[in-house]
Amino acid sequence: SLVIRGEKDEQAVLCSRDKTYDMKIADTSNMLLFIPGCKTPEQLKADQESCNIIHSQIAGFSNNYWELRRCRPKLKKLRKLLMEDPYEGPDSQRDQTSTFSKYTTEDLLSLIQASEEEILHQLQVIDACKIEGYWRILEFDYEMKLLNHVTQLIDSESWSLSKVPLRTCLEELGSLEPTEMIEHILLSYGRKYIDDGEVYFEMREDKICRATAQMLLQNAVKFNLSEFQEVWQQSVPEGMTTRLDQLKGLALVDKSSRPETIFLLKVEELPEDNQERFNSLFSIREKWTEVDITPYIQDLCAEKQTVGTLLTKYARSSMQNGVKVYNSRRPIS
Amino acid sequence: MVQIVISSAGAGGLAQWVLVELQGEVEPRQSGALAGSLLGDLHYTHEGVPVLIVGHHILYGKVVQLEKPFAVLMKQGAREPSPAEPHTRYAVTALIKTKLLFKTRPKPIITNVPKKV
Repeated sequence: SLVIRGEKDEQAVLCSRDKTYDMKIADTSNMLLFIPGCKTPEQLKADQESCNIIHSQIAGFSNNYWELRRCRPKLKKLRKLLMEDPYEGPDSQRDQTSTFSKYTTEDLLSLIQASEEEILHQLQVIDACKIEGYWRILEFDYEMKLLNHVTQLIDSESWSLSKVPLRTCLEELGSLEPTEMIEHILLSYGRKYIDDGEVYFEMREDKICRATAQMLLQNAVKFNLSEFQEVWQQSVPEGMTTRLDQLKGLALVDKSSRPETIFLLKVEELPEDNQERFNSLFSIREKWTEVDITPYIQDLCAEKQTVGTLLTKYARSSMQNGVKVYNSRRPIS
Repeated sequence: MVQIVISSAGAGGLAQWVLVELQGEVEPRQSGALAGSLLGDLHYTHEGVPVLIVGHHILYGKVVQLEKPFAVLMKQGAREPSPAEPHTRYAVTALIKTKLLFKTRPKPIITNVPKKV
């Protein structure tokens, strides 16, 4: 079945099991009459008994109807809800005395304007995990703590980054952290596979480098770019290589400052609405190149939309030093 | 949040209705009400062209297969939400895949034209 979801101050959406649609009322100046059992010419031709009068009733009439248009599920609220009470680990005092709401899948279905599958998929994307039946996001410092346990173990055991054994991790680290958390961090930062009956993980270099960068960048407003790159490379596990393109949608490089700097800018903290997102981006920086702005608008693309279409609609382009740049269509206060 | 469930009326296939689309408005004769009144007669020519006779007007239309079919929803349950049934429910009662579109100007039917002698 289908479900219409929305709070009183939200626009209604209709959700199937795996899709979300905007609902609009469409008006027509024509009158629409609906007739149950009315036959079409084809149906009557097949029915050879002619010359009968069929009495039909008009069930009703209308001059408006509901129209559905497939839309992006409104998932920003999901992260916001889970960030109300991030999980800080079993020793955290906060969890025991917490009065914050915790959310089950059912709770989320009654709060988020999205289909069940879209919600479950997003929970996976943001690395949420179920703890005691409730969906939780890990507090970033705790997440890094868990990751460090794993990377240090990989280092001390001299394992290949692409063959990290689950069993040994649980054995060695189980005394430090709950085994479900060890497994969760491996699932979040690695790709699971089975070899010869044993479970292994191929660690995801890009994701680990990215998390390490976030850890470094969150402590200051901005960093000297070359200093940052040096510290960053030194901070990632042995054998991993850092690259600036790993930071798309997480951090932005300011090439106009001398020296060049880098600062944290997380796409998930920007507005969900298209116009508001562009306003926000243009108030951060007046002119953007396509390469720089793409990671910050990619998620706005509807089913068959491209970044180019969005830029044509919401921005104005010009040339600057031989490079095409985009700026706001309207003055930004 | 409100969650309004729309469910299918039953496993055994949905009724198929037809939409009749008219330009303008339909008014009841004199001071009568629309409900219970006769609208008119619907005929099809041999070529399958729908013909609607309303009062003393005749309209020619065409059969159109809807690109986006309609579903007819009927509200279920109590008029006002109660603690037992906090949310409205809708049931899909029928599907409409075809419409008879009448967009030409109605022509008056003149039954008796006296010839000038």
